Amino acid sequence: MHNSKAHIWFIAPAIILMIIILIFPLFLAGGISFTDYNLGNKTFEWVGLENYDKMFNRKTYVKMIWATATYVIVVVPISVVLGLCAAMLLNSLRFGADIYKTIFFLPVMATLLAMAIAWEFTLHPTLGIVNSFLANGCGGVREFILGFHWLPWVDSQESWYAVACANNMDFPYWLKQKNTAIWTVCFIGIWQAFGFNMVLYLAGLTSIPRELYQAAEMDGAKSTWEQFKLVTWPMLGPTTLFVVTITTIRTFQVFDTIEILTKGGPSKTTYVMMYAIFEKAIQQNLTSIGAAITVVFIGFILVLTFFQRYVIEKRVHY
Amino acid sequence: MEAKQYIGEGWKHAILIIGAIVVMLPFYMMVSMSLKSQQEIQSISGGLIGAQETQTFPVCVKTGYSEETCTMKPYQYNYWFAFEKAPIPRYLMNGVIVTLSIFIIQVLVALPCAYALAKLRFYGREFVFSMVLFCLLIPVHGIALPLYVMLAQAGLVDTYSALILPWIISVFGIFLMRQFFMTVPDELIDAARMDGMGEYAIVWKVMLPTAIPALLAFAIFSVVAHWNDYFWPRMVITGNRDLFTPPLGIREFRGGIDSDEFGPMMASIVTVTVPLIVAFIIAQKRFIEGITLTGMK
Repeated sequence: MHNSKAHIWFIAPAIILMIIILIFPLFLAGGISFTDYNLGNKTFEWVGLENYDKMFNRKTYVKMIWATATYVIVVVPISVVLGLCAAMLLNSLRFGADIYKTIFFLPVMATLLAMAIAWEFTLHPTLGIVNSFLANGCGGVREFILGFHWLPWVDSQESWYAVACANNMDFPYWLKQKNTAIWTVCFIGIWQAFGFNMVLYLAGLTSIPRELYQAAEMDGAKSTWEQFKLVTWPMLGPTTLFVVTITTIRTFQVFDTIEILTKGGPSKTTYVMMYAIFEKAIQQNLTSIGAAITVVFIGFILVLTFFQRYVIEKRVHY
Repeated sequence: MEAKQYIGEGWKHAILIIGAIVVMLPFYMMVSMSLKSQQEIQSISGGLIGAQETQTFPVCVKTGYSEETCTMKPYQYNYWFAFEKAPIPRYLMNGVIVTLSIFIIQVLVALPCAYALAKLRFYGREFVFSMVLFCLLIPVHGIALPLYVMLAQAGLVDTYSALILPWIISVFGIFLMRQFFMTVPDELIDAARMDGMGEYAIVWKVMLPTAIPALLAFAIFSVVAHWNDYFWPRMVITGNRDLFTPPLGIREFRGGIDSDEFGPMMASIVTVTVPLIVAFIIAQKRFIEGITLTGMK
């Protein structure tokens, strides 16, 4: 073929950069996590597993694991299911699908930090339109629907909505209250993520051959639900796997909304891992603890990705 | 039958419209607040754009401007005062500098490497490729702390380099370009060699032009990600306003949520957010393609 040594010059920069920027930091984080090193210190000592010991036994870090797990477990399934539902609805529309697609994709595009602030005002207890919408609805249809009065077991005097109306419009302070903050942040996470999943599912849906539906109908699967079970869901297997993995990885990395809106509070209910790394290592200069959290964080993500690549991937391809 | 189908269609639109309203809520709030006066914002009145009565703005007068300068319509005031208070063009320019530098260096590094991996035969090729695959697994935000330690040791915190350096290697870009180059026929390259072109010339004069569609998608992917990134700039830029990227600017505007005027604050946020959204609406298809690139295999 050719005898040039050009390939060395082509791959060398990439290899060097991969080693310095991506691989070396992995080891550096691992190394620092076994020391008491803080940025600016001249010396350090090896402390073994002390940092990890702190992490799994101190209340703060237990709360951190809880907050992260809650966030991931809530946001991933809901945003995936919403994405799938939206994709299927859009796919079955006769007209207007493109407009909805654009609207639902906007949150994916827009600067998340700006949107977090916009949500903060939208949900603000006195300035926000959400709480004023709720307050204006006391005693009306809104109360009936959103207070779940239509469910037979909900007492219309005792529902959260009715109680708030009775107590001088005492609606939740969404982001400032211990029992609502994490759910509100989850909601913003879902709001931001589902459009991305929708687009991936739309691509997945177009690749399902029409004949499969006809065949299913011949086999007696007449209702939409039966066809979904028999054709759509199995055919979307690879897409779903991919969507779940990528959403999980992105969800683990939540930072912007937490930093700007809750700072991990109230009482650490929204203290997710990325924010913990930032707060400990950068703001409080506890580099070694931050490194230990980093190692656990990377561990989670690597396990997840391996799980996708080598365990399930073989099983979902038909 | 026909009627039933129309009802079905109607239900679908009803559900989707409710969804669309919820999705648009913060956008509405943002634009609306950037147009209205402080009183209208606080009393939640005036609908989307408010009454737009010409008035004198006390905060503006307190800042030291003459009463005459401070008398105007709310929307004019909000946007004018936003630009008076913060160097917004500077933030936007920093955003452009950082995202473009990152993208250009990413391409300079990734393209030759991808070409070598796809079209050249050499000892260790498989090893290099599996290294790329391994690096794809590393969560970039996850290694932020060790990278920060390295940059701090090198004395690079609070510089453009800190914003750009960690991102100049995109293993995803290498992977993507390699997959793309695999589809380019060998004859094209052989013909170029026959014409006496060197390998460098082949990369930039033959491969680059064929890769334009893939590069464009990658450009959007890369630029959107780094334009919107807040985590990394927040780590490495501590106080130097001259280096603020748009998201750091946004954070600064928000500063005094309880004391400040909300109108100019939202006006700044809208200004910073709008360029990307407009670009998205103009070139939707390309954007969706680019951002969901990670969905390609």
